[in-house]
Amino acid sequence: MRLGGIDTTSVLGYASPYIVEPGGRISFHLSSATPREVDVALVRVRCGDPDPAGPGLKLLPVKSAIDGRHAVRHQPIRPGSCAIVADRGALRGLAGFSVGAFIWPTMPGAAAQTIISRWRDDSQAGWRLGLDADGHLELAVGDGKGAVAVARGERTVTRREWLFVHGAYDAASGALRVTQVSLDPQAGRDRSCVGRAIARVGIEWPDDTPLVIAARSAPDTTTHFDGKLDRPRLHRAPLTADAMRALCEAVNPPPGDPDLAGAWDFSIDIPGLSIHDRSANRLHGRLAQIPARGVTGANWDGTVNDWRSLPAHYGAIHFCSDDMVDCAWSPDFMLDVPTDLPGGYYALRMTAAPPDGDPVESYVGFFVRSPRGRTAAKLAIVAPVATYLAYANGALRMDQVHAESMLEGLIVLSRDDLYLQEHREVGLSTYDTHADGSGWRVSGARRPILNMRPRCNTFNYGNDTHLIDWLEEKGIAYDLVTDEDLHRDGLDALRPYRCVMTLSHPEYYSREMWDAIDAYQRSGGRHMYLGGNGFYWRIAFHRDLPGVIEVRRDVTGVRTWEGEAGEAHLAFTGESAGLWRSNGRPPQRLVGVGFDAQVFDRSAGYRRMPDGEDPRVAWMFEGIAAGEMIGDFGARNGGAAGLEIDRADPELGSPPDMLLVASADRIGYGGMPAPEEFRTFHRGLDGEQNSRVRADLVYFPTANGGGVFSTGSIAWVTALSHNHYDNNVSRLMGNVVRRFLDPAPLP
Amino acid sequence: MLNNAPDGAHFPVDAGRTDLIEEFRRSPKGPHGRELQMLLHRMRWESPGGRYVLVTIEPGRRWILGRLTGARGEPIELFRNKTYESPAAAEWDVFKLRWEALTGRTIGG
Repeated sequence: MRLGGIDTTSVLGYASPYIVEPGGRISFHLSSATPREVDVALVRVRCGDPDPAGPGLKLLPVKSAIDGRHAVRHQPIRPGSCAIVADRGALRGLAGFSVGAFIWPTMPGAAAQTIISRWRDDSQAGWRLGLDADGHLELAVGDGKGAVAVARGERTVTRREWLFVHGAYDAASGALRVTQVSLDPQAGRDRSCVGRAIARVGIEWPDDTPLVIAARSAPDTTTHFDGKLDRPRLHRAPLTADAMRALCEAVNPPPGDPDLAGAWDFSIDIPGLSIHDRSANRLHGRLAQIPARGVTGANWDGTVNDWRSLPAHYGAIHFCSDDMVDCAWSPDFMLDVPTDLPGGYYALRMTAAPPDGDPVESYVGFFVRSPRGRTAAKLAIVAPVATYLAYANGALRMDQVHAESMLEGLIVLSRDDLYLQEHREVGLSTYDTHADGSGWRVSGARRPILNMRPRCNTFNYGNDTHLIDWLEEKGIAYDLVTDEDLHRDGLDALRPYRCVMTLSHPEYYSREMWDAIDAYQRSGGRHMYLGGNGFYWRIAFHRDLPGVIEVRRDVTGVRTWEGEAGEAHLAFTGESAGLWRSNGRPPQRLVGVGFDAQVFDRSAGYRRMPDGEDPRVAWMFEGIAAGEMIGDFGARNGGAAGLEIDRADPELGSPPDMLLVASADRIGYGGMPAPEEFRTFHRGLDGEQNSRVRADLVYFPTANGGGVFSTGSIAWVTALSHNHYDNNVSRLMGNVVRRFLDPAPLP
Repeated sequence: MLNNAPDGAHFPVDAGRTDLIEEFRRSPKGPHGRELQMLLHRMRWESPGGRYVLVTIEPGRRWILGRLTGARGEPIELFRNKTYESPAAAEWDVFKLRWEALTGRTIGG
């Protein structure tokens, strides 16, 4: 496409792993429909934000063995989750059969969908239970010689209502039958019905065909199911609907029944990637694209809200036809990361000059972690990769009608957004909803992440590189660790450093990450929290898969979707999810301040507060006059306090020894408080009238001579480069870094 | 779930309030008085005439007007003859389009 700018999407890719240690190997997985060749170069990212209001794009070439021209091919993306049970004798050996399950469809009538199948599209052989394009239940059987018979219910199913569904084939008579029973058959919700047809007798089923739950195999999976599926069962006889329903109702069906072909129990090992069969055949299967587990089943009655308390009520999986965690692209080339490559943000730059379009300049972002046990600096920055994953490929501004109201101005999209609007198969962010309206709970790094690379939309990654740019400008040496290092290595990842910086928006934290930061502070470490809305949502990394996180949004917090009742515990760990504040750990206790408001229309400056005159923090304000406003300038809406802001509150754990040295407490009507900040509605909650809508700059000493400095604003780092880095935000930061790197105990 | 209703805004638009037009023309990015805030809310909640957006061509320098169709996967419509060198110019242009869609009256200038 020719628009006159830079084409950032004609070539896309991802790095695996996305975090690498010097001496490690990284593979690049690329795809392009056109062009067919790209020039590749390795760059170190100093600033990834091209906005001229900031430092501007600064990418430093690093010579590497992969530099040069490479051929690229088109690699498709196949979204959609399902469970796949490899072909086994117990499946081939069926003659007649019954298949049943409880279903809670979320997009009936949108397209044909499969509930459970053992079917080959190429030969039209096998059987499949599903919904037709209009939302009627149907069972199809095909003999592979051209005869396909279909029994279809006469009533469509209802969206977001539980049904028992059953299909049976009698090999002796050829009778084919489907039955659906509404579990709440009142007030117009009853869709119970039966459908019948006659098929050939004695159909023989195909070989080499897996059983697939929530899709069919053709051989790539297709016609995926959207919604929940609970307790699917397969039986070797054409049972009545009542008998099959009894089998499906039973959490523990009789495993000694030789005719019970399969009885899958999704409540077993909910954090895992397999499904378990309770029948004697042990037809276990594997899950593709990580559908949501730990979700309420047809038998959930509100007795418990935690799947660990009563797993039998959580025997469902919520499948989505657009679930996408791993593109599974083939690698194009490898990079052996030099052992002396400094830790930092890096990217693969891919350029091309197509004759019929704008010049292509696309990137794959990745992170080089400083080597364990071989530190180069006393300062470390923590790359908030969990937050980058949570925001990966956000389409919120396209999908949510309130986006412009929230931003108090026209939505500004990028070339990345144009691409994302058309190519949803790349997988969205945990802010978005699936096509069926359910929230995206899982995000992974094995797919192109458009907003975790240079030239991307400015939130998070782009803003964070303003801090990197400032460190480089000031010649302050730093190492790099990542959230995933905090999660998997704990305190060890931070222990070597005298000072640690968490960046502009470290919003998503696992318990392991939090504990590492907390223990670091208590050990005498110095922590600079340079952002807003940090330490907000509780998440988990997957126990087996690197670069995969889970988010569950509960009934409070600034949330773009709300989870279903009873589903606020993480499937990956069972932990209660939602806000850290709701989990007894308000961020104020960790860093003195916690999220209170969004303000996207204009940013403010900080006023010095009485604590700012305290002799204990005189070092912080060296070179700054007593009455000077701090940061009444910046690349994001003209101030250092903006976008998302945090305030101190002793009730929420701000420590008694904390000094509130400055505050941006004149935010204006664009400052909207977070929902957890007010109990009842009343006029005057916005930042024009409400002093609790503000950003606080705080300092407090911690045990063993350590200390914490927090700025409470996402916009803070985007003010550092103002006036060629000669400004009081930059000066104050320099004062704090120098003092925090000084081994003398903090006052 | 928990989605926002596209047609939730119901603040009545008074086509005679040309003072609000002038207030917006003077200062597209605000701050604005209470009635203009409410009018803008009405316009922005679900943009009349389709959801207008800006697409950055050159960061910080040039933008083009676009419109979302509301359907996932459908391309964003681009108005190639409507480009801007400041977001404020785009705000004013879109305000005029929306005013006309809501009141049937055009704004000159």
